[in-house]
Amino acid sequence: MALAKHRIKRELIKLSFLIPAVLFFVVIIVLPFVKGLSYSFTDWDGISESRNFIGFKNYSLLFQDHNLLKPLKNTLFFWVVTLIGTNGIGLMMALAVNGSGRFNRALRTVFFLPFVLSLVLVAFLWTYLYSEILYPYFGVKSLLGNPHTVMWGISIMAIWKDAGYCMVIYLAALQLVPAEYYEAAKVEGAGLFRRFISVTLPMIVPALTANITLLTGWGLKVFDYPMTATGGGPGNASETLAIYVYNYTFPYNQAGYGQAAAIMLLVLVFAITAVVAGLLRRKEVEM
Amino acid sequence: MSNRKWPLMLRNVLLLALALLFLIPFYISIVYSLKSREEITASGIRFPSVFHWENYSRAMEISNFGHALKNSSIVTLVVTVVLLIVCSMASYIIARNSRNRFYNSVYYVFLAAVLIPFQVIMLPLYINLKDWGLLNTLGGLSLALIAFQIPYNIFVMTGFIKSVPRDLEEAAYIDGAGAYRTFWSVIFPVLKPITSTTFILNALAAWNDFQTSLIVVQKEAVRTLPLTQFYFIGQYSVEVNLAFAAFTLSVIPVLIFYFAAQRYIIGGMMGGAVKG
Repeated sequence: MALAKHRIKRELIKLSFLIPAVLFFVVIIVLPFVKGLSYSFTDWDGISESRNFIGFKNYSLLFQDHNLLKPLKNTLFFWVVTLIGTNGIGLMMALAVNGSGRFNRALRTVFFLPFVLSLVLVAFLWTYLYSEILYPYFGVKSLLGNPHTVMWGISIMAIWKDAGYCMVIYLAALQLVPAEYYEAAKVEGAGLFRRFISVTLPMIVPALTANITLLTGWGLKVFDYPMTATGGGPGNASETLAIYVYNYTFPYNQAGYGQAAAIMLLVLVFAITAVVAGLLRRKEVEM
Repeated sequence: MSNRKWPLMLRNVLLLALALLFLIPFYISIVYSLKSREEITASGIRFPSVFHWENYSRAMEISNFGHALKNSSIVTLVVTVVLLIVCSMASYIIARNSRNRFYNSVYYVFLAAVLIPFQVIMLPLYINLKDWGLLNTLGGLSLALIAFQIPYNIFVMTGFIKSVPRDLEEAAYIDGAGAYRTFWSVIFPVLKPITSTTFILNALAAWNDFQTSLIVVQKEAVRTLPLTQFYFIGQYSVEVNLAFAAFTLSVIPVLIFYFAAQRYIIGGMMGGAVKG
């Protein structure tokens, strides 16, 4: 009896470490999530008292909505461009400043600097850079004003902000590469490119996985940049899925439909991340 | 100059050019924020002939900067401190019971939750906060920000704690210390490399948040800095100099923080990031 009581007490103490975090999480995320799921099966406008259960109608409407194609395309575009751009530039910067000494350290500080700014500020800054600097000085018309280039304009801001973050993660991995590996490769006559492919690349695969997974999440959920820089415009040329959900939920007062769109966004994020993570894991094993 | 030094020189020149590309926007903001509107049109990005400091006082006044700064500071402080306590405790118990099916599944739930887009709970959370009287309060915003940071924090911290040897706490247990005392006096101090990094990332997330604030704190009295800037830019987009003064003002606290803590930011992330 005493032993059982002692065990229960021990388990309760263990639980007490976990409970505060779980409580926050359940109250703010899990319960609203369940509630939101139920909204998505109604015709609720988000304000009035009454709402009717309409089954999967919102979901079937979603699949027929041609206005959804543009946000979907924009979101996927932003994801792919920032994934490649941010990783590529981040990796190049990491390879360039991977070393000790003041010069390298100063450069790292500078390259990481944009990451500490808020997305609102970055979007604001670049909106002005495009219109006040690039146009008058270089004759480049603002990328944000043209429906065909606006997503490029927004992707460039994001790459500028996040490349430093990727750089740091790559640097962490690069520092684990033993110098002897390079020496051995040099002795065998491997050139710079050859050394990168057969020594560096296998060692930084975990960092690559971390960065790709992270940027996939950020990219597919993008909201702040287009919301601040263009408000989704011109027209709906830079509307993303997250903005689409926001618009239906608040300004358009079609909460049930907006919530269904949000659930679809969630499914998309989980599906793409699962596929990407699965592919990366296979690669990691091969390497 | 010997032949071998040329590539190195070229590399350094290219890197400096790239560094300039990263710094130019900051230079432009400072220059623009100190000019009159006429001078901006006339001389563009050249260094200002007269410093118009009054741009700053006007921007502060119009954008209600002091108030927003206070709101942002309170929220950031509350969010970071609560996350530090709550997540280090939870991560510790998850890491030490990773063979237990219950704790392990809690861990995987948090792992999956990292992916949840804010939009999925945006409306129901808005309605809940309204029902509880927490809409348009800093407390409501803090709650939401805390909850959204928990999954990522637990993910990163649990990974770190798994690499901390158990000898330390076992010695403390033998000495008769309880679970709480063991945690706070033996484990918590050892976690400093990871807690300082997550603390900084949490501070940035809270300080810079836009999409949660846009929903939770719409009233002017409770707006945080990013939200204030968002509305300010919308209204004063023509007065470029004021907009840039407001921009520069709100960057200053972050930059001070960055340069003071950068050893922990870059160093800490390089140390702990890949392991997790």
